[in-house]
Amino acid sequence: MEEMSGFPKELVSRVLHLHFRDCKTKVSGDVLQLMAEFLKIFVVEAAVRGVQQAQAEDLDIVDVDQLEKVLPQLLLDF
Amino acid sequence: MEETEAEAERQFSHRQRLKAAVHYTVGHLCNEVALDKQVQFNKQTVAAIAEVTFRQCENFAKDLEMFARHAKRSTVTTEDVKLLARRSNSLLKYITEKNEEIAQLNLERKTKKKRKPEDESSNSREPAAEVVDTET
Repeated sequence: MEEMSGFPKELVSRVLHLHFRDCKTKVSGDVLQLMAEFLKIFVVEAAVRGVQQAQAEDLDIVDVDQLEKVLPQLLLDF
Repeated sequence: MEETEAEAERQFSHRQRLKAAVHYTVGHLCNEVALDKQVQFNKQTVAAIAEVTFRQCENFAKDLEMFARHAKRSTVTTEDVKLLARRSNSLLKYITEKNEEIAQLNLERKTKKKRKPEDESSNSREPAAEVVDTET
């Protein structure tokens, strides 16, 4: 279950801080771990939905076309 | 004038490096899904997922900052992250469970660390005893 790769805490921290408007905004360690999980789910969900779309279209490869079809709902769900 | 250009240049390559790092992790995750589902991903698809993820991070970061500020805090907490996960019930449930898991794990690590100093002091006694033996 825990064998899946994940986002390194350092990366999550840097990406979040890149977009913070206030330099005083801080992030706790727990939040970094939780956000790493959050991003992992986002990516896996995008990938899995892409696969489902490809399977529905009877394809062996997930192309950008399949991803485009699942992207709107994915963004609404997140 | 040159300094601001150099600064913009640095910021751009910083951004590019972060994007590349995200792409790396996304690649690994896609590989695992591909293995699990026995379906391949196009290189462009992986790149597209990485791009979307990176862009969504901007929204996530800004939302988190706003949530914290709204609560008159300057530190983002796990409560803010839970608020971020509000749009889907299953997502919220998963995040809430993960949060408790993480809190539990960190608590266990802290209690282990407290026990460590006791182990270290007993270890340091043993070598000293050996030294005394060899001298005599």
